[in-house]
Amino acid sequence: MPLDTSTYGLALLRVDGRRWNELRRIHAQIRTQAAADGSSYLEMGHTKVMCVVTGPSEPGPRRGAAGGAAGGGGGAGGQSKDAEVVVNIVIAGFSSVDRKRRGRGDKRTLEMQSTLANTLAATLHTHLFPHSQINISLHVLSQDGSLLAALINAATLACVDAGIPMTDYVTACTAGSTSTYAANDEGADPLLDLNHQEEQELPGLTVATLGDSDRVVALVCESRVQISRLEGMLAVGVDGCKQVREILDQVIKAQGQKMILEGTVDKGTGLNDMDLD
Amino acid sequence: MTTERPLVLPGDTIPPHLIPSSTTKPLRLGPGLRHLPPSDIIPVVAGQLITNHQKNSMWVEYNNNRYLPTPGDLIIAQIHRSGPDFYYCSLSPYTPHATLPHLSFESATKKTRPQLQPGSIVYARVVLANKHMDPEVECVSQSTGKSDGLGELKGGMVFDVSLQFARRLLMAKSREEGKVEVLEALGAEGLAFEIAVGRNGRVWVGGEDPKAVVVVGRALKETDEGRLGVEEQRKLVRRLVKGMK
Amino acid sequence: MPREAEPSLNEKQFVLQALQDSIRLDGRELEQYRPLELTFGDQYGVADVTLGKTRVLAKASAELTVPYADRPLDGIFNIATELSPMTSPAFEVNRPTETEVLISRLLEKTVRRSGALDTESLCLVAGQKCWSIRVDVHVLSHDGNLIDAACFAVVAALRHFRKPDTSMEGGVLTVYTPAEREPVPLSWLHSPFCVTWSFFGEDGDIAVLDATWMEEQVSSGSCTISLNKHGEICQIAKLGGVPVEAVSLLQCTNVALIKAKDMSSKLDRWLTEDAKRRDKGGLLAELSAENDRVPDI
Repeated sequence: MPLDTSTYGLALLRVDGRRWNELRRIHAQIRTQAAADGSSYLEMGHTKVMCVVTGPSEPGPRRGAAGGAAGGGGGAGGQSKDAEVVVNIVIAGFSSVDRKRRGRGDKRTLEMQSTLANTLAATLHTHLFPHSQINISLHVLSQDGSLLAALINAATLACVDAGIPMTDYVTACTAGSTSTYAANDEGADPLLDLNHQEEQELPGLTVATLGDSDRVVALVCESRVQISRLEGMLAVGVDGCKQVREILDQVIKAQGQKMILEGTVDKGTGLNDMDLD
Repeated sequence: MTTERPLVLPGDTIPPHLIPSSTTKPLRLGPGLRHLPPSDIIPVVAGQLITNHQKNSMWVEYNNNRYLPTPGDLIIAQIHRSGPDFYYCSLSPYTPHATLPHLSFESATKKTRPQLQPGSIVYARVVLANKHMDPEVECVSQSTGKSDGLGELKGGMVFDVSLQFARRLLMAKSREEGKVEVLEALGAEGLAFEIAVGRNGRVWVGGEDPKAVVVVGRALKETDEGRLGVEEQRKLVRRLVKGMK
Repeated sequence: MPREAEPSLNEKQFVLQALQDSIRLDGRELEQYRPLELTFGDQYGVADVTLGKTRVLAKASAELTVPYADRPLDGIFNIATELSPMTSPAFEVNRPTETEVLISRLLEKTVRRSGALDTESLCLVAGQKCWSIRVDVHVLSHDGNLIDAACFAVVAALRHFRKPDTSMEGGVLTVYTPAEREPVPLSWLHSPFCVTWSFFGEDGDIAVLDATWMEEQVSSGSCTISLNKHGEICQIAKLGGVPVEAVSLLQCTNVALIKAKDMSSKLDRWLTEDAKRRDKGGLLAELSAENDRVPDI
């Protein structure tokens, strides 16, 4: 039990020493692969994800409705008015504690691909690139809970790196609750950013929001939870997303600074408030 | 004019007294009948046998689900994409596309032709339809050069009806022959709307007030699915219009 | 040949515009379901659900098999969904489309992962023999909102199903045929139901329940909430789509609870009606030796 009731009640600390509203350490880098249009590497605690974005580019062979990999984004039937977002996720066999090789048609992976494609299509300005395709490839190197959230964050970073116009960052994080589904205890705390152990034992959800607003792009809850706990979890999750956005924004700005110093990019007039040393 | 309307099944023999006999005009066979020389006429579909002694013709009224294009039919087509000289439009889902020439609109030249987006709908007439080729449609009458109401339909909503109902709506004497009084009843209640009926089972309803369009669509659908008689149609229309207010 | 029948621009614009005035094509309220009908088959475990023009058939069946190696004390429970060309020429056999994968995952999360069926009760001999329950879901007609109809059908089929009775004596397991002993119902813990919301408009501020196929083509996002009548959420799936205010999602969840309670009471009523119909002479009358054809003298 990640929340040993004897100790949690006393010090209100979780197994890894965090309080209820603390995120794990987030480390992110962009432009990790020079060959791709956009790339990123993200760590949320021990969950490590790499992302590569290629596009917008020529669309692949028309797959129509009976496609294997998931595609997203709007568009009419024969000709797309919008670019199509195609996501491919590879979960390495060594990523979890038990070595598990996932086949290509694994339904859980297909569902995550579809979720990711539809989530990003909500923010990317796909109408600017009709008849084209944006390919997002993700590799999961290590899993320790909050997998979908890490994938969404990594994909956002890589899309920003690729320079694809978007409305705002889409950031995600997980939230859970200390109460089990049966108990209706009012004293149950919502928890922010669950690791693997907590995800398995406690009810939790993954929420993705658009930028600084309260607008939820994706919400996935796969565990049983009382309806009254939902509001607390959602509020904590949305707040956590805002914190993640701040961190990711810092990463992007740091990369921007580096590129200005290296001379690859000229300093623009709007960057006067950036402190270049 | 028509006395008996028996139900015929494929392969039935038609009682000889039903076959109109006239020495002056040749006997014309309409859809659903096939002539096996030298003197056999057999129905090939299940439906009602209709004979018209004045015009010396006979045919079978039947209901099918798939629309088969026949020259002269007025249909509602949806533009799928634009080619070099033609628009490719679909008359019914999952069938080969029909071609609509770019210049087949009233007073259209290469510079002034209407630009239709994929997904827009047009009211057109079938020109060419046979089993060897893809069908062709036109939006302007070949002889007169006038559109007669054909062309792009803007706004409004398209509803799907059965083919038989579309045929009844299009009949000249829709009240007596087709037993369809829905449209007149709706107009009598004071609803303002435009309507275009396609023989391929699509009806376009246009109007200012979306509620009116929705009521017309519902009335058409319920008349079609419920197979309502004339009196029931009037009751349905009254109920729907009251519900709208 | 076109792959999918795409609605025309006029239809899409009209439906959106009408929804902004809170008008739906069939005259329903925004939060009103279409009429839900359920018919049980003659065999136990067959449920035929119609939701307007959407029709889904679910059949539950059981067979004896060996349990999984890593779970020797649990039985096996699988849900198989099939969208066949019967629904629409756009679907092909044996080639799962994205819709099919999503429906399959949603049903699995709602019914299997939430523990609606007690899999431990399916185990007969630990590590050697257990029941494998399989529910086949066939979509017969697609007019929108497949998920709600399919989930209702699965739950109805499982609650209606009777598995053969068994007994253990010594080390010997005996399975009785329906003729020897009455089949027994499955060990059912709670009944989850799915409620699907569709969002329309640029900012997703119009939320609609039970969308028809035409409305689904125009929608910009959707969210499926599965819960049971006790207010326990089994899963929530808003897989991308237009961003919606968090507060609106919470309101949607509250309305979903009301609809789930409604569906639950309907299902209970239909199950009791079916039980009465099967039990017409009373089960005791069937099993008794009296012959009611002998006239009273």
